[in-house]
Amino acid sequence: MTSILPLIARRILVSLVILVIVSALLFCILRLLPVDPAAMSLPPNATLAEIEAKRREMGLDLPLFRQYLIWAGEVLRGDFGASIHFRRGVAGLVGSTLPATVELAALAMLIAGALGIAGGLTLFHVRGTRKEPIADAGSIVLLSLPEFLWGLFFILLFGVALGLLPFTGRLSAGFERPIITGFLLIDTLLIGRPDMFVDAMKHMILPAFALGIAFSPTIMRVLRSSLIDVYQEDYIHQARLRGLSERRILLHHALKNAILPTLSLMGVQFGFLFGGTLLIEVIYSYPGMGNLMVDAVRNADLPIIQAVGLTYCVVVLVINTAVDALYLVLNPKLRVA
Amino acid sequence: MSAWTSTSRGASKSAWPAWLRSPRVLAGLAVVSAIALIALAAPLLAPHDPNEQNLVATFLPPAWANGGEAAFPLGTDSLGRCTLSRLIYGARIAMTVAIVASLGAMLIGAVLAHIAGYFGGATDWLIGRTVDVWMSFPPVILSLILMVGLGTGLRNVILAIVLVDWTRFCRVLRAEVLVVTRRDYVAAARLVGFSHWRTITREILPATLPLLITLVSLEMGIAVIVEAILSFVGMSVEPTIPTWGQMIADARQFIYDSPWNLTFPILAIFVTVLGFNVLGDGLRRTLDVRLTESRA
Repeated sequence: MTSILPLIARRILVSLVILVIVSALLFCILRLLPVDPAAMSLPPNATLAEIEAKRREMGLDLPLFRQYLIWAGEVLRGDFGASIHFRRGVAGLVGSTLPATVELAALAMLIAGALGIAGGLTLFHVRGTRKEPIADAGSIVLLSLPEFLWGLFFILLFGVALGLLPFTGRLSAGFERPIITGFLLIDTLLIGRPDMFVDAMKHMILPAFALGIAFSPTIMRVLRSSLIDVYQEDYIHQARLRGLSERRILLHHALKNAILPTLSLMGVQFGFLFGGTLLIEVIYSYPGMGNLMVDAVRNADLPIIQAVGLTYCVVVLVINTAVDALYLVLNPKLRVA
Repeated sequence: MSAWTSTSRGASKSAWPAWLRSPRVLAGLAVVSAIALIALAAPLLAPHDPNEQNLVATFLPPAWANGGEAAFPLGTDSLGRCTLSRLIYGARIAMTVAIVASLGAMLIGAVLAHIAGYFGGATDWLIGRTVDVWMSFPPVILSLILMVGLGTGLRNVILAIVLVDWTRFCRVLRAEVLVVTRRDYVAAARLVGFSHWRTITREILPATLPLLITLVSLEMGIAVIVEAILSFVGMSVEPTIPTWGQMIADARQFIYDSPWNLTFPILAIFVTVLGFNVLGDGLRRTLDVRLTESRA
């Protein structure tokens, strides 16, 4: 058996190269900004000479390429600079908000996967029956509702009209937020406060469902079409001849093979979903990277925008690389180098 | 594909082309054209100036609800502005962005896809890797960063969407071009002495056109959403121009005072995007396009 390690190593290498290009691109786009970070970090009554000195101190008079190298070098040492607006280290700001966003995205992905697989099986099950047009129409409606419309709709329905669930922040007033790992759901369990865990979970249900439900229809449709493809294969026919029940064929034989393309799609979808957290966080006043980013954008806080933008890309690249590697492990057909 | 090619070559003159007889296409077209007409006729249709404030009549409910006024059919917002008029004017930005941005993204994406798929080799590799790099930015994040770099305004919103979404066209179309390029008639065209340009435009493009049209329709829905997202966070057009995203952002702050104000723009975005998606789905079916979907 050929080893798949070199293939995985190559995939990681490609991701690293992409990361370098992405970071350079990010750096260049943000240099188009018509504001002057030097002038912004000084009091408004600073003289032109003072601004010029600050520019030189910040390295803004150097050529773009040199500026990028300096920035990249600092980033590699974990130094993302200081926020112009908050006057705090950016690394700390990103570090304290990233776990919240990852928690939200992970929960949402779980929901999207569960709904997507259930929906895909349903769509496949009703194919060719009278229910098919209804199921199809349903999946188009789902596809037309982006996550932020779901988010607002859930707030109106479950938050305002029914008053069932909270829709602002992460914890109810009166709870002191524990900080151990940064992941609230884990931290509340670590300090042994199940009541707090439930409260945090309640705050996450609406945003996570809004995100998850918005990303499920694509998974549904791909699962259905790969199931249709798999059913053309001989072994399904043979399973029928062996007298296996349709249910057993679907769940034990077909699904196992149809799930692979679905899994690879979920990797791509995770990138979109991770970006989707931004708006959901803003709508639900959820203290994650998305809110940090939007605040930074409104204040033209360059160091934060740069660091948060890069962090989003790193997470997406890591997930995509991991999914590709998993795909290689699970699908022996791809192991031919 | 057969439906498109047979009708475009005038095989069936008497009947409507197949794609115009599909109920999905008709329904989608009806919704989308209705919204486009509303956008065009906004000054005639809107009962008020969308920015006219009426501070004695804030948070009015719709006319049919308790306390509503006939002068404001869908009520007023926190500054007493007419919700219906703002919705109608909001359609202008939504439709402008939908049409111009998706055509722009299509143009860049389609040209690069045809070049990559047709010529293959190093060109294909380079374009493919560029798409990879682009796709490692979550679209929302990239459009937001671009808006920071470019600055707000209608032109820049369109530019940002074009620069983010051309990859959707490029990725999907390239695969299709690759398949078509290997067909015999394309090889025959080259043997007969057609230039590359002529082969691509006369032989390959007609075969990829159905997919292209379907993608444009779906992209228009995506563009409406992206514009709403950008104006929701205040990074779209100037604040004096009413947009659906901006109406949502305003209404979110006063959700308990007036849930109505949040409901109407949500419905407007939903109906518009649904219209484009139903149209796209109908085109996909009648033009027989196989498509791996991805979304915002």
